[in-house]
Amino acid sequence: MTVKAQPSPARKGVRLRRLLREIWRNRFMYLLLVPGLLYFAVFCYGPMYGIQLAWKEFAANAGVVGSRWVGWANFAFLFKEAEFWNAIRNTLTIAGMQIALAFPFPILLAILFNEVWQPGLKRVMQIVSTFPHFLSWVILSSIIFNLFGNAGTVNNMVVAFGGQKLNFLMSKEIFRWLLLFSLIWKESGWNTILYMATISSIDQSLYEAATIDGANRFQRIVHITWPGMQSIVTATFILRVGMIMNAGYMQVLTLYNPSVYEVGDILDTYIYRITFQKAPKYGISTAVGMFKGVVNAALMLSAEAVSRRLSGEGLL
Amino acid sequence: MAQTASAGRRRSELKRLNLADGLIVGFLALFSLLILYPFYNTILISVTPQVTYIREPFMLFPKELTGVSFRYVFENKAIWTGMWVTVRVTVLGTLYNILLTVMMAYALNHDYPGKKFFVGAILFTMYFGGGLIPMYILIGDLGMMNTLSSMILPTGINISYLMVMRKYFRNIPEELEESAKIDGANDILIMFRIILPLALPMVVTFVIYYGVERWNEWYQGMLYIKSASRMPLQLILRNIVANSNTILASESMQEAGILPFADGIKMAAVIVTMLPVMILYPFMQKYFVSGLTAGAVKG
Repeated sequence: MTVKAQPSPARKGVRLRRLLREIWRNRFMYLLLVPGLLYFAVFCYGPMYGIQLAWKEFAANAGVVGSRWVGWANFAFLFKEAEFWNAIRNTLTIAGMQIALAFPFPILLAILFNEVWQPGLKRVMQIVSTFPHFLSWVILSSIIFNLFGNAGTVNNMVVAFGGQKLNFLMSKEIFRWLLLFSLIWKESGWNTILYMATISSIDQSLYEAATIDGANRFQRIVHITWPGMQSIVTATFILRVGMIMNAGYMQVLTLYNPSVYEVGDILDTYIYRITFQKAPKYGISTAVGMFKGVVNAALMLSAEAVSRRLSGEGLL
Repeated sequence: MAQTASAGRRRSELKRLNLADGLIVGFLALFSLLILYPFYNTILISVTPQVTYIREPFMLFPKELTGVSFRYVFENKAIWTGMWVTVRVTVLGTLYNILLTVMMAYALNHDYPGKKFFVGAILFTMYFGGGLIPMYILIGDLGMMNTLSSMILPTGINISYLMVMRKYFRNIPEELEESAKIDGANDILIMFRIILPLALPMVVTFVIYYGVERWNEWYQGMLYIKSASRMPLQLILRNIVANSNTILASESMQEAGILPFADGIKMAAVIVTMLPVMILYPFMQKYFVSGLTAGAVKG
């Protein structure tokens, strides 16, 4: 029945009754949905009404709705702030370093793990390498402070080998590398799992056939392992680039200090600082958040579109 | 498993181990050691007396052991209140997370009017949110400031877990539900009595994921919690590391002439904070991989 003409009122009534019956039949499904939907409504959509603060000057006694509209003043103020541009530059630099080095490392690890033939050894090394993923940056930063602090283990070794003490945590030259390597240290093992699972779904007979044909290890990796994991690498790469506005909020927040703000302050920590550490200007903080959110959403949607075009499938 | 083992054996028969194998294993072993060493070092510092540590700052085996640092940590009341807060946040939070996620995942695996709209509305929140300040104001408006619920309720549902869970439910044969329906059971009953027991491995996986996340809670505590008695353990640890004076105030021990060793105390606090994850970690192994790969790799 594909009648395109306007349905008669009688038919409309039938359809409505059918819809209501369908809803009633599924009433328990809706009940199951209620708690989850409430959560999303309150804690994901709820804050969105506060976004109007980006165009307001927040006054605590007037509340969000009662505060005075100021047009684009908050944004205008922001775009003149050197610290804001500094935060953007740092965000992009640190995220760029992560994409260049922290992103490919787990891929390399997965390929190497796949070349290990002793299953026991492989398992132990994998278990060890995924461990730091389950710890918070508070714990890991405490350990890092202890290792790299002025009187820390690393500096003691440097001195023992006749070197000069380095102030790892306060050095503008070193800080970004400290971020990068601690990220690789924490997450590489975990990120390897996905690639390992992809590799293990490659048909093993391909390897045997290639070996019989005289392919060496490098040729097997280039012609069998790599093509087998290429599509998942493309997908994770697009996703990572789409999230370039995120450079590791929790990590930076726990590791940085005033002497490295210049090279380490990213957008998220900038928002945090101007909200809770300086004299709070909620309007301006919200404007930064708004700016980041919009750019982020646009990038994520583009990433999604690129992925759809490349593989015919969305990322999420 | 048997298949990969035999494939491995066949491959090793085809080719003997060579230098490249050695290099690869060597590289991976070095990487694993680099991961482990900081933890080992942490343990060592926590059980070494200060004098020994100063004399020999990098050691592989402790020459002298002491429980002083741990005693300082355990005599600090803040650690215990923090632990109690974190235990409550973890238990209640995980329960809340998993209930919400499972119910919603199950419901989203079925078709009924409006479902597409709900899925769209949920996915939208992955791309866009209110941001830090609107959230902060909301928590205040809801009267949740400085309460444990501020560290629990906003965590709700992790959308990736939700989607993996939904996919998992899809693989359970529909006939099971249909026959139960004929017997007069409703959807909620069917979910809890029939489907959930079948999905138990997946539920356990996400209980672990959520549990670890709640245990690691500190950020919301830092934003919303004002009174010391409600601070989670991780936040207490952060304070101890930032300002060791907070933990050095064990009067009974100082009167007894036992001097505190700041680094040792900090590292002992680190170990106490990560202990549950450390102990459970080997048992979690078999679960956590499945959660990550079930959703990602198309079978």
